Amino acid sequence: MPLLTQRIPDENDYCLVASLDNVRNLSTILKAIHFREHATCFATKNGIKVTVENAKCVQANAFIQAGIFQEFRVQEESVTFRINLTVLLDCLSIFGSSPVPVFVSIAGTFTALRMCYQGYGYPLMLFLEEGGVVTVCKINTQEPEETLDFDFCSTNVINKIILQSEGLREAFSELDMTSEVLQITMSPDKPYFRLSTFGNAGSSHLDYPKDSDLMELFHCNETQVNRYKISLLKPSTKALVLSCKVSIRTDNRGFLSLQYMIRNEDGQICFVEYYCCPDEEVPDS
Amino acid sequence: MKAHLLLFMRIIYIHRCPLNEVAPPGQVVEVFGKAIQALSRVSDELWLDPSEKGLALRSVNSCRSAYGCVLFSPVFFQHYQWSASVKMNDTDIILNLNCRLGMKSILPIFRCLNSLEKNVEKCKIFTRSDKCKVVIQFFCRHGIKKIHNVCFQGSRPLQVIFQKNMCANTLVIQPRVLAEAIVLFTSSQEEVTLAVTPLKVCIKSSNEESMDLTDSVYSEMFVGPDEFDFFQIGIDTEITFCFKELKGVLTFSEAIHAPIAIHFDFPGKPMALSIDDMLLEANFILATLADEPSRASSLQTLYLSQKQRRSEPIHSNSKAGKNITSKVPEYISRKVEPKRLYSNETPTNISTLENCGSPLMKRANKDITEVPESDGNLSEVPESSVSDTEDVPGSPCLKKFSCMFFGAASSDQQEPFSLPFQSLATASGSEEDMNNGSFSTF
Repeated sequence: MPLLTQRIPDENDYCLVASLDNVRNLSTILKAIHFREHATCFATKNGIKVTVENAKCVQANAFIQAGIFQEFRVQEESVTFRINLTVLLDCLSIFGSSPVPVFVSIAGTFTALRMCYQGYGYPLMLFLEEGGVVTVCKINTQEPEETLDFDFCSTNVINKIILQSEGLREAFSELDMTSEVLQITMSPDKPYFRLSTFGNAGSSHLDYPKDSDLMELFHCNETQVNRYKISLLKPSTKALVLSCKVSIRTDNRGFLSLQYMIRNEDGQICFVEYYCCPDEEVPDS
Repeated sequence: MKAHLLLFMRIIYIHRCPLNEVAPPGQVVEVFGKAIQALSRVSDELWLDPSEKGLALRSVNSCRSAYGCVLFSPVFFQHYQWSASVKMNDTDIILNLNCRLGMKSILPIFRCLNSLEKNVEKCKIFTRSDKCKVVIQFFCRHGIKKIHNVCFQGSRPLQVIFQKNMCANTLVIQPRVLAEAIVLFTSSQEEVTLAVTPLKVCIKSSNEESMDLTDSVYSEMFVGPDEFDFFQIGIDTEITFCFKELKGVLTFSEAIHAPIAIHFDFPGKPMALSIDDMLLEANFILATLADEPSRASSLQTLYLSQKQRRSEPIHSNSKAGKNITSKVPEYISRKVEPKRLYSNETPTNISTLENCGSPLMKRANKDITEVPESDGNLSEVPESSVSDTEDVPGSPCLKKFSCMFFGAASSDQQEPFSLPFQSLATASGSEEDMNNGSFSTF
């Protein structure tokens, strides 16, 4: 391994070591939040949280718990660094990102990953192996930036709905992007759960009855009508298409939380969460 | 919302066609959407024009060189109800409301036809004339309801009356055959030429395609008379028309598995593409290029072509028939200098068919001012038009679309409408027009 002969750091030099038999279990989740170039990574013994933010109004968090990894060690209480997510994803899919046909994957041609980080100022090292071929990637890390605290507390949640993602997928892909906002109505009474846009095509409403078979949970206490910038919410479609269920919650300030439950190729569950602050007050109408 | 203030002018339910119980409602909506998609090839505006004959969707492009109409018979819908006018609540004012919709507004609603077909269980369309809105409701699986409120403008729909049965040439072809015949044309192809003799039909790239090298493929496809469901060639001719409308009609006819009838005569006279089905009738009228010695070929110059029209009303040209002579079927060649290719074999003095056949369109509203002055004088040609409209001796014959509706506008200085032209197009100025059958002569 001539690449590594200069100086092979001892295993203990690394403050973060993680190994994964199937790199797609990581890359898929990261793609779900890839709507900005850079991401901040926090690693604790529980796993890695990757955060992407935009416009100080929307935040996406991907949680990859320690159990997803075959090996996961964090030497310090927490490890934080900022990284170019585009580059990271390019490296993770360096052997290709398309799903391997089932019969091939049984034969064991997953891309395996070993990820090491020595600490502040050091690059993130990726060792990717497929079929005996090893690629080593070093990605420079950056000064971590403070991330937003949305202070979204479950005790302040007013309305909560859990939907099978199938029901929202088409709605989000067909959103009238000429509308500036997406208006979300959640109410104990009709129309229960409504998505509205106001674009060139006039207004469009999408109503979900609370007894729909897509509705896993409908828990609305009071009528809330909030508007969110459609440009901020649209990127969450990436998570939506991967997910099987989505939890939609709003708190007393109108802040929106979208939690996507994503099942990876090994059947394990991961979560991606989007927070978004509301647009201006809705005029009574 | 007080109920007595609601004015439901027209209520249309699309659900399941009673004549065809097996068709799932989604498929019916899909056909409706395909019709809108086909019409979107014509123009960026769409008229909803209900009548006792059914719901007509109409579209006409801004230079009036293409017109499309799809008429859904009342039995296409599960429930169809309409009224021509609306009585305001207390006053006796009768409003005659017509709906002109922006294609940009309505097309996105019917863009994802696959998902509509899968999910829609019922579709309800009605107008709320009090708010100038067309409401389109989709009742989907899982109890999901989609509501689209599209604003419309009150504007009278156009009608073009085109005696397609009077055309000398009629071809009826299955969409599958036509699709195979035009499969080689690229999407950049703007115009195609249809050349016919009683022995064969040739569909080829228009000679007028631009000469830049990125677009230099020339294709010819021959279709034998056996391939047509109906084959009647009265005159040998060669017409050139826009490709994109043809593709739109083709996609639509593929969706409803109905053959396309092509009615046409000589170059310069409009042609009709029509589909007749039990539940609907579609007619697309397209301008064809008139043989004319000038260099414009794109649709943008349609309007200009009016001004460049030469003044002598001349004999009909007899170019037809000499077109298929030595061409090898399906040959593809680089078109380096196509104008040269044709310069020798073309008479220099080809004329337009000024006063026969081109339909004239009248509009009941102010748009009538759009009638261009047909001026033999070329001095008014804007600079964007091509320069050499003069008939240089020996110059290649080049063609140009005659604007089909104004094509009859005269070559001399008279008021166009004072001329005794046969009026082939009228606006549906009143409902009587439609009721007394002018539509049926379309």
